Amino acid sequence: MPIGELSPSVRSGRAGGEAVKPRRGRPGSRTSFRRAGVDRLAPYVLVAPAVLIILALRLWPLVLGVNFSFTGDGELNGTPVGLSNYLELAGDPLFRTSLRNVGLLVLLLPLAVAIPGLLATFIYLRVPGHRIYRSVYFFPAVLSPVIVGAIFNLLLGFDGPVNAALGAIGAGPVDWLGDPGIAMFTVVGVHVWATFGMALVVFLAGFSTLDGSLLDAARVDGASLRQIIWHVIIPSLTRTIQFVFVTTMIGMLTSMFGLLFVMTGGGPEGSTYLPEFYIWHQQGQMNRPALASAASTVLFVVMLVVGLLQITLLRRTGRQD
Amino acid sequence: MKRRALWAGLMAAGLVVAGCGSAAPKEAPSGGAQQKLVVWDWKSGESVASDYIEKAKADFAKRHPGVTVEFVAQPFDQYYTLLGTAIQAGKGPDVMLFNGGGQIRDRVDALLPLDQYVAEDKSRLTGWDAFSKDGKVYAAPVTLQGHPIYYNKALYEKAGLDPASPPKTWDELVRGCAAIKKATGAACFALGNKEGFGIQFFMSGLGSGTLTPQEYDSWIAGKREWTSPHVKRIFELWKEAGDKGLNNEGANSTAMFTDIFGVFQTGKAAHIIGLMSDIGHWKDFGEFLPPDKIGVMQAPVVTDGATPSLPYDGGIGYAVAKWTKDPGLAAGLVRSLTSTEALTAFHAKAGAIASDTTIDVSQAGPAAATIVSQLKTGKPALHVALSSKTLDLMGRLSQQLLSGSATVDKAVKQLAASDKAS
Repeated sequence: MPIGELSPSVRSGRAGGEAVKPRRGRPGSRTSFRRAGVDRLAPYVLVAPAVLIILALRLWPLVLGVNFSFTGDGELNGTPVGLSNYLELAGDPLFRTSLRNVGLLVLLLPLAVAIPGLLATFIYLRVPGHRIYRSVYFFPAVLSPVIVGAIFNLLLGFDGPVNAALGAIGAGPVDWLGDPGIAMFTVVGVHVWATFGMALVVFLAGFSTLDGSLLDAARVDGASLRQIIWHVIIPSLTRTIQFVFVTTMIGMLTSMFGLLFVMTGGGPEGSTYLPEFYIWHQQGQMNRPALASAASTVLFVVMLVVGLLQITLLRRTGRQD
Repeated sequence: MKRRALWAGLMAAGLVVAGCGSAAPKEAPSGGAQQKLVVWDWKSGESVASDYIEKAKADFAKRHPGVTVEFVAQPFDQYYTLLGTAIQAGKGPDVMLFNGGGQIRDRVDALLPLDQYVAEDKSRLTGWDAFSKDGKVYAAPVTLQGHPIYYNKALYEKAGLDPASPPKTWDELVRGCAAIKKATGAACFALGNKEGFGIQFFMSGLGSGTLTPQEYDSWIAGKREWTSPHVKRIFELWKEAGDKGLNNEGANSTAMFTDIFGVFQTGKAAHIIGLMSDIGHWKDFGEFLPPDKIGVMQAPVVTDGATPSLPYDGGIGYAVAKWTKDPGLAAGLVRSLTSTEALTAFHAKAGAIASDTTIDVSQAGPAAATIVSQLKTGKPALHVALSSKTLDLMGRLSQQLLSGSATVDKAVKQLAASDKAS
């Protein structure tokens, strides 16, 4: 029984309690033995719920979805069809449009970050009425996308008030939601209007950590407003700006569905499709669950790539600091 | 390292099982007795349908005492999404409401053929074709859905036209519209094509005046010559109407059901290709337009040899799910939902043209009477014969035709390919 003899001494050496109370040594040797097992298992038991939830509710459905994307729809339900769903996606102009629109969103991202950044700067620099603006700007962020969409549907209707106002100043009416070249920009614009309040708050929080003496020094040196923004404020806020970039990107890529559904329904001419909307359309309207699974898988890969890029970006800047 | 191993394992697992299983279940569970039927629809929650539902429930209770029936009203926007999920789960409602045509035909795999249960109702009700596929009936029609061309008699009077004799040909219609535009500023057609539905109404509303009876019948029978001159003519008319300003402005951003009927009701457009089921019809317009100011005209003749007819099909109908435990009972409920008494209540309250041909509609005003008088010579609507995929494509192409980014030739070619594939 070399192990039985060894165990208490080893344990007493490690755990103080055993050494102080050696009288519990003999019956305790079994208990401590058991405790060693418990200690070894405890972390796994404690992590188990989280792991199981992730496995059962996240990864398993994901695997199922990927799996279904290789099966057919309708009469081919349940039959392996290889890559034909993916080939159909590649050949579907609607899906290609939806991916192109993702690219457009990424391109419009700097604008979506610059707007709250600029407005936050003005608030920070105490323009007249900055207190009112602070709450007014945040107000749309509490509205649901459906309500926002409905409001702008009325405003931007062909015979709506915006076009009436344009007409009053002599500009021709614009078919905001009916022109395929304009509709996507309209929806993105409304999305930015509806969500920039949150980014604004983050920016204001970032400003609160800004060193005021730097600003004063710049002012004393006679820097103009533009120079202050460019050379003092932006460099001090790098991390905040990056954070806003990441969160705005996530918001744009994942939560435009409500607005699209209410405002354009993917139209006109399919110009405002995004992958999410495409998935919903194929699954719910066209009764093509397997094709929708394939589209979901593609979207997953796109998001994975974008997410990894963002993580890399954040890590790199983290190291710089 | 560990995480990488985990991912590799998952990927491997994914690849091993890739292509197995199915995105929708193949077999529905069955067996066991039940005393409750669940019905899904988007109608039962509306106040105009309450009488109808009550009558149907009473009729069913008389025939099958002791069975509870639960109506679950789903929002129509989400209806087919929810239904799709239920179908994939292989469980859900026992009885469900469907639109005729593509929506039900795409989903017959999940439905029970009803022929043996509804044999007695076959002659009393009309509109069965929209709920049939490959010779089997999957739902019993409740209303008829069609696309009569409604016109505003008040605008005709203002423009000095005779409201009692609407135009018979396309040229007459265009001339009349010019007069109306000059006198009242109203557009010729109220057109809402935001969702791409406008083209469906247009195609079916004007199709019988454009295709010859023979072409029409072979279209319905599945032999569709998309690139033939007369079919192309329909799309040319569509484009022409847009280019010549016959439509209200901003048609591509005007929603069909919520906005466009308002344009017609308020006299901003003289004609609308509407519906005859329970929305977008004469009774709906009645809010602003008195029934005697609403006329119904036949499709104007575009090509010689065409004989205009009312395009209509079964509108909505109740079907039975394959997984229901007692098919006879569920089919019994479908029969109660299409009983003469229940349908009479639906017609009286909602103004719908019901599928029951024995209902008296003389109380409903001249427009309804005209529609019912045309039922006998009516034919199935052109667009209902198309698959939902082709209709979806046609919606987008129609928007492109209006905006000028597609040509008629290109559009019909794409449609022909899509129609052939489905």
